[in-house]
Amino acid sequence: MQCKDVELVLEQEGLEPLPEEARAHLVECRDCRNYIADLTSLVDAAKKLPSEITPPDRVWISLRAQLEAEGIIRTPADVVPVESASWWQSISAFFRNRVLATAMVGILIAAAAVFQIRSDRATPPLDPLKSVQTSPPLAIQEVPSGEFAGTAQALNEQEPVATGMILASTSPVDASLRDNLKKVNEFIADCERHLKEQPQDELTREYLSAAYQQKAELLSAMIERGRSIN
Amino acid sequence: MSLRMIEITPARPGTWAKRNFLPVLSAGLFLWSAVPARAAGTGQGIERQFKITGRPVVVIHNVANGRIEVKSWKNSEVDVVGTQSSNKVGFDIEQVGDRIDVTATILEPGAQPLELEANLQLTVPEETELQLKTETGLIYVEQVMGDMKLESYAGDVHLKEVSGYIIVKTTGGSLVCTQCAGKLDFSSIGGNAQILQPQLNNANLMTTTGNILFDGDFVRTGLYSMKSGKGLVEVRFSSTDSFDLKAQTATGTVDNQASAFLKPDSHGVKHMASKFTHGLFGTVGMGLAKVELSSYSGTIRIMRRD
Repeated sequence: MQCKDVELVLEQEGLEPLPEEARAHLVECRDCRNYIADLTSLVDAAKKLPSEITPPDRVWISLRAQLEAEGIIRTPADVVPVESASWWQSISAFFRNRVLATAMVGILIAAAAVFQIRSDRATPPLDPLKSVQTSPPLAIQEVPSGEFAGTAQALNEQEPVATGMILASTSPVDASLRDNLKKVNEFIADCERHLKEQPQDELTREYLSAAYQQKAELLSAMIERGRSIN
Repeated sequence: MSLRMIEITPARPGTWAKRNFLPVLSAGLFLWSAVPARAAGTGQGIERQFKITGRPVVVIHNVANGRIEVKSWKNSEVDVVGTQSSNKVGFDIEQVGDRIDVTATILEPGAQPLELEANLQLTVPEETELQLKTETGLIYVEQVMGDMKLESYAGDVHLKEVSGYIIVKTTGGSLVCTQCAGKLDFSSIGGNAQILQPQLNNANLMTTTGNILFDGDFVRTGLYSMKSGKGLVEVRFSSTDSFDLKAQTATGTVDNQASAFLKPDSHGVKHMASKFTHGLFGTVGMGLAKVELSSYSGTIRIMRRD
């Protein structure tokens, strides 16, 4: 047996028990003995390390939201059920604290909106030729109107919650937040109208996607503000 | 915190003072400078200085109304001056190694906006990283080199002679960046961005309803992207600049006031605007930098500065 064979055995079977042939090689090969000794000490040291501490689910959620917002990762559609199942289990315990709960809602809005936008964007683009052959012409016009429907619905459901949290406030900051929400809503409506007329206008689609992300961040900011003033 | 009793056998009062009181006082002063400070007083302020050994990181979170001003000096110290309009606002200031955290907090949430004014004035070493967050009120940074992230809801952000990776995020506040260098990311809903005399090699500017003005040179090999949903995107370049230009708008207009300098792309790539957009492609000089301008419904204006 050669040195490379010993390495192969280690890769496949681990440190022990080593086969007779490998042990015989070790008797003659100082390099391999040292190699085995190094590996053994590493494994021993690893066993003495404390067991891993699982971070709270909210850490993963906010991390994911941030990475998605920065475009570093994209959420595949099939990940959703697995992710939902894990963090919903601990959400009731987490919501005991009112302050954390409010922050959590904000993070969830941003994460949900970003995820929805990404999911929407991940939908395969419509091939106009194929569509003409397989679908009635009306279907081509319906696609853009529904493309961001999930995102729009999720954000529209959260909007009354967010605006309600700063409804009573007269501070300039909250007035500015409300004003900017109005602006972004108008812009979204404008882009949606245009996309209905020009379904394949990619530039408008980009602006619409960005506007939804801004709206999500704005609602999150309103909730955060509401938490600090209430 | 409790103090442990120490048995002392004084020889003479004067000697005791010298041998014991002074070291204790010194230690006390040292410890006092290391623990978080809190100040709250009517019309009063707080001033603290922190020694640093390397490149400091200054983190400010101002949840009250007010201005944050950061300037630089040659000293290896961070000087923090905070003033507040009432005792309903307080400052928490803390040093951990070379990181200085300053937080202006509202002590009485029900107070009137005028009572919740807290201004911060910082003097930092020239090479300092900043992370500033405020709700309203101006953020002003001058002559600081280092990465910085500046966030504001309604306040404006004014930067002068700063360099590094600069991230500015506002909801309604505007950015004025004069003689900035490095990389700049700006995003806003209603805020404008004015980039004057820049030395930026990378700029990514995006606003939904605000205007964008870029008045200055495009660094060779630089990448520039400027997008406004509804506002005006105006670029004023110099005759010595060298860049490829791509300008697109969905429903707006492209106002090319530099057609004499803008030539067809010289790199052999044939650009065509989408049939759904109004586009303009061209090259100035050798086309070394890349400039992308876009607007959904606003105007894109391209003009020569000199």
